Amino acid sequence: MRQAGIYSRISSSSSSGRRGSQQHSLPLARIKKIMKKSDDGVEMISGEAPIVFSRAIELFVEELTRKSWMLAAEDKRRTLQRDDVVSAIHGTDVFDFLVDLVCVPDQQNERKESPVGSETETVGSKRTKVGP
Amino acid sequence: MEDNIGSDEGSTKEQDRLLPIANVGRIMKQVLPPNAKISKQTKETMQECVSEFIGFVTSEASEKCRKERRKTVNGDDICCAMETMGFDDYAGLLRRYLHIYRGLEGEKANQVKAMNNTQQ
Repeated sequence: MRQAGIYSRISSSSSSGRRGSQQHSLPLARIKKIMKKSDDGVEMISGEAPIVFSRAIELFVEELTRKSWMLAAEDKRRTLQRDDVVSAIHGTDVFDFLVDLVCVPDQQNERKESPVGSETETVGSKRTKVGP
Repeated sequence: MEDNIGSDEGSTKEQDRLLPIANVGRIMKQVLPPNAKISKQTKETMQECVSEFIGFVTSEASEKCRKERRKTVNGDDICCAMETMGFDDYAGLLRRYLHIYRGLEGEKANQVKAMNNTQQ
């Protein structure tokens, strides 16, 4: 049986860039840009790589969001907070690579007293790791 | 395309390293109940996590290409990197996704070829 969803999404993405970017949930050009910034050794990126990444990112965001929501629901909250994401990261082995990027819950309590800008600085300090 | 028009070049570069918050928020909402809310800070954190994810996987994939003396990172490299990082479930789904995509691209190429042949 034809899987209309998967076919229509992939076929529209493989067409011209303009049409592809309208159909895709994520901008492929931006994904490519982030890929290039991540590693100085990246020379060339095939056209299919950002398309595969687009789907991978959806899977990643969905999994992290689900895990975070479970923690919020335990607390009987309907608003997903940053702490829920941080705790989900700490509680999942496969998300270990994100541990340094986010604050540990103890440090988070200190940061609550500081303005939002400092949050950005903390997360932004990882910029040296991501880009040049 | 003049992306840098505007007073704050720094913020433009900052945005360039993140996926749009609206897109990220939309994916998050897809797996949440209708009455759920997401704080802006949470979406921003998710943006950062996504960029870190892209970077981490790309570095792995790029390393594989270097070892094999290839210059182009392709879809298979991304799938392999996922497995190396422990995202085995993703790797399986993505390989199927890639297989379908390549099949569609092949069909298109054949159609173009057939059209060119009939024109001759």
